[in-house]
Amino acid sequence: MTTDLAPARALMRRGRVLVILGLVAIGTGYARALLYTPEEARQGLAQKIFYVHVPAAWAAMMAFGLVGVASALYLWLEDPRLDRFAAASAEVGVAFGSVMLTTGPIWAKPIWGTWWTWDMRLSMTLLLYLLFLGYMALRSAIDDRNERARYSAVIGLMSLVLVPFIHLTVYLFRTLHPQPIVLKPSAPSLPPEMLISLLWGVGAASLLYLGFVTLRYGIGLAQELLEDARRG
Amino acid sequence: MPAVDELPQNGGYMVAAYVVASIFYLIYTIALFRRAARVSRGER
Repeated sequence: MTTDLAPARALMRRGRVLVILGLVAIGTGYARALLYTPEEARQGLAQKIFYVHVPAAWAAMMAFGLVGVASALYLWLEDPRLDRFAAASAEVGVAFGSVMLTTGPIWAKPIWGTWWTWDMRLSMTLLLYLLFLGYMALRSAIDDRNERARYSAVIGLMSLVLVPFIHLTVYLFRTLHPQPIVLKPSAPSLPPEMLISLLWGVGAASLLYLGFVTLRYGIGLAQELLEDARRG
Repeated sequence: MPAVDELPQNGGYMVAAYVVASIFYLIYTIALFRRAARVSRGER
């Protein structure tokens, strides 16, 4: 018996195109940041890590936040598409989270004098990342699709609390981590050239997120269709 | 003679961050593309 993978293949095709466009946009953003964006007066060249770290952090938090939203909706509607999306977004969030959690310490070392500090912002971000590693491990450990979706959704819900809390930690606790310079009530506090490079990076990371999620969703759908065909 | 403010020499950290980020994105892209190719052939 042959399985009709056409819908999954169409999604994977679209995902591949978006991923390639996202990578080109990321590469263009890196070139702009390195070659055409002025050097910051006090931090020197290390400040340019900002254009790698912040877009990755943005995409990771968006990915984890959307897992929370999809999880809440899944528990309400029990639509398998929401579970499939949550699984895709969680994995992509871990990919962006890996970039965030490696480039952060590389930036911290020359500026703070230490690779890591156990303050609230950094600790909670690491906790969120580990939570999603656990989320992925849980998903791979449960065979029954409905059970897996329900248990995962309960864990995924936690990001609805953690993501806004992590954003607020710089206001609520003493921390070495700088406060937001764009996502804040007043106007962004960056010179225009730096702001454009940052916004380009955030846009590129968002596009890459969309490509990764579309492709990963298509893979998840294809795997389910193949599994259904095998079970008859 | 007044001291001249010099920019810190930390370009190596910048290069390391850009290289690490690029490697992560490329590895994840290759992994997803390979998985997509595998499931398209009907393998799980």
